[in-house]
Amino acid sequence: MATDFWASSHYKRWIVDRATLRQARADDLLYVDDPEYLDFLAIFFANVISKLGKKLLLRQRVIATATVFFRRFYLKNSYCETDPFIVIAACCYVAAKAEESPAHIKNVVTEARSLFSSENYGIKHFPSDNSKLAEMEFYLVDDLECDLTIFHPYRTLMTLCRKEGTSDDDDAEAGELGVGIESGPRYWGNGDGQLELQEGALQMAWFIINDTYRSELCLLYPPHLIAIAAIYLTLVLHVPTRATIQAQSQAEPETPTLQPRRRSSRQASNASAPSNINQKKSNQDIIGFFAELNVSMPLIATIAQEIISLYALWDRYKEDGNVETAKNSFPAQTASPYTPGTGSKRTLSGTSRSGSLNSGSGGETPIEGGEDNEDNVVTPAILMALLMKMKENRAADVAHPASGRPVAVNKMLERTQLSG
Amino acid sequence: MDAVEKANSERQKKWTKDQKVGEGTYAVVYRGREVSTGRKVAIKKIKVSQFKDGLDMSAIREVKYLRELQHQNVIELLDVFSSKTNLNLVLEFLDTDLEMIIKDRTLVFLPADIKSWMAMTFRGLEYCHRNFILHRDLKPNNLLVASDGQLKLADFGLARDFADPGYKMTCQVITRWYRPPELLFGSRYYSAAVDIWSVGCIFAELMLRTPYLPGESDMDQLKTTFRALGTPTEEEWPGHTKLPDYVPVGQFPKTPLRDLFTAASADTLNLLSKCLVYEPRKRIGAKEALNHPYFFALPNPSHPSKLPKSSNMASTRALEEVDGNVDQNVAGPAVKAAAPNRLKRKLNSPGDELASRSIARRLDFSQPKQP
Ligand SMILES: Nc1ncnc2c1ncn2[C@@H]1O[C@H](COP(=O)(O)OP(=O)(O)OP(=O)(O)O)[C@@H](O)[C@H]1O
Ligand SMILES: [Mg+2]
Repeated sequence: MATDFWASSHYKRWIVDRATLRQARADDLLYVDDPEYLDFLAIFFANVISKLGKKLLLRQRVIATATVFFRRFYLKNSYCETDPFIVIAACCYVAAKAEESPAHIKNVVTEARSLFSSENYGIKHFPSDNSKLAEMEFYLVDDLECDLTIFHPYRTLMTLCRKEGTSDDDDAEAGELGVGIESGPRYWGNGDGQLELQEGALQMAWFIINDTYRSELCLLYPPHLIAIAAIYLTLVLHVPTRATIQAQSQAEPETPTLQPRRRSSRQASNASAPSNINQKKSNQDIIGFFAELNVSMPLIATIAQEIISLYALWDRYKEDGNVETAKNSFPAQTASPYTPGTGSKRTLSGTSRSGSLNSGSGGETPIEGGEDNEDNVVTPAILMALLMKMKENRAADVAHPASGRPVAVNKMLERTQLSG
Repeated sequence: MDAVEKANSERQKKWTKDQKVGEGTYAVVYRGREVSTGRKVAIKKIKVSQFKDGLDMSAIREVKYLRELQHQNVIELLDVFSSKTNLNLVLEFLDTDLEMIIKDRTLVFLPADIKSWMAMTFRGLEYCHRNFILHRDLKPNNLLVASDGQLKLADFGLARDFADPGYKMTCQVITRWYRPPELLFGSRYYSAAVDIWSVGCIFAELMLRTPYLPGESDMDQLKTTFRALGTPTEEEWPGHTKLPDYVPVGQFPKTPLRDLFTAASADTLNLLSKCLVYEPRKRIGAKEALNHPYFFALPNPSHPSKLPKSSNMASTRALEEVDGNVDQNVAGPAVKAAAPNRLKRKLNSPGDELASRSIARRLDFSQPKQP
């Protein structure tokens, strides 16, 4: 299914509200000091998926699908009762098949074992035989309710925007970036006429979309809205683009006369881009572009704010290995024109938990500048230790049901036996 | 039992499973009922019990697409649930398929009947293509027919998305007799036109009551095709000699379709020829086909409930599948000798049909891998 999002399982069954998300983490919440750790785990796991996906040579879109599978699985399960690493391997394995670029099961097992046993994670017990992964695949597909078609923001981005100086039928060199969609009804609105973005800007929007998978946004909003929020942030934050837009709005009164030049401005752009860039861009009606999309702009702004709070959180997370991200394009969070946390889980909000991260900041943006926050930094090592502790405490509770918490030793195992 | 399990067991309780009615490569099919209404259903149990190699690609594709598709002429997936270590797909129960109907020599087809089946096939296919899904295995055996006569596209085990153009795909798809020449020549970038070719072959088969292009091997399939439709010229199909697996297979003259389809109307032959155009881009599309004069000319298509139907229903079907080599002593359509037609299609040269299928069905490692 490619066009009709509104008729899809994605829309009908897998866009959830915040209350559902909270409910899904309820068990995990019993075992962490600070709920914020769960948001760090969301970043951490997305990074693991991305690393495994790259080792398996999966395209970005396949990695994104694997991440959505992972998030959906944990709408119904908790971290402390499952092994997120075997779940991650299964997500990559199923996503590769669902997106028609299958990897051999043996290969997935091998790559997962080697990645997970590396320093960052130190997992020595990852099963080496295929059957464990195959079994997990079955539980995963079952919990996903066989809904394997995932819509992603990338396609909307490439439908709405194109690289400056290219036209619709130029998608030959494109690879995944830049495939034109055949003319068909556009499910996201009625806009026609793509927005031309400078190459760097298009790239940035693409990376912002990649980054959103580090949060739970893919469970909360339709992908085309996430794409539009990414475009919106790009226009605001991509420096050369912003400069162009500013210049444009100053020149506005004179621009109408330039209108006819738009389609034929290709050779000009090749010749001397910098000097005529303002003129060339001036006839792009940005506001009109968003208006044409026929989506709620306040909703887009909300999503944009949530993306910014993700970056604020991510700023305090340190992990080796370079990910391609748009994070560095974002100004330090204090300079941001938005209030982080609106509409999303607030950072260390009022609750008097003994937050070991940054205790006592009482809901304010926790970090300013770079000094004096050594112990605010969250690392994979900290999160691995946390996961271990969560699991142990959970197991202890289960062994001594006096705590009054429900007993479910190994959900998966139990489920298998039950349904027999 | 947690909420997830509870939901599953509740779903499971909605259905009962009766006797086995058939078996495919990756699933066993049972007849069952919806407990609350008594409605007959088919329960397709995907074999995963031994957890050896993970879920079959066709199982993944079938659930992936059936979960999304909803159309009168596409088989309906009513529910999914798990039991022990099996996934179960609950499908609407479909009594028969077009292959059985074609082979039932006691049935007589009127032109209006054929038009009705063609219309339903194109409607189902247009819906798939509109949603950028290729079926890639259309043949009479995969066009199932409900008790009310509605025809449904089924078996999405080879289906795939084509919304992002420019991706290399495997050419090892579509059962040979229904496979278009561009796939036989190894084309890796193809589109909805491949399904249209298959529909053209089915159209012809409905008139002939025997497969139209029954090649005995992939090479012979090209020959059979060209013998029937003439060897394509460069003008007719620019660039085809540059396709990866192009081989010259000899020069065959064009013979008018009229020579073989003696009783068909001009509209009929016009639509048929547009489905069997060599150049894929010039082949008619599903939507365009539905607007073809054929569907507006008299006779009007038969009402589905009035269509001919096999009297031997699903109960006898499994049996027939085992030994049912319906002996067709009818000569093939001016092409091959009787040999290939004598075997029941399902079992015909199982070696290569299954082989080529399972290659595609198993794993296609040929995707361009980009970071
Ligand atoms: N919806 C249905 N209603 C009634 N019978 C069905 C239904 N689906 C399948 N069957 C029966 O079960 C058999 C097996 O079906 P299945 O789709 O698993 O495999 P197949 O298409 O026959 O073979 P393959 O897996 O090689 O494509 C069919 O031949 C048919 O007899
Ligand atoms: Mg079949």
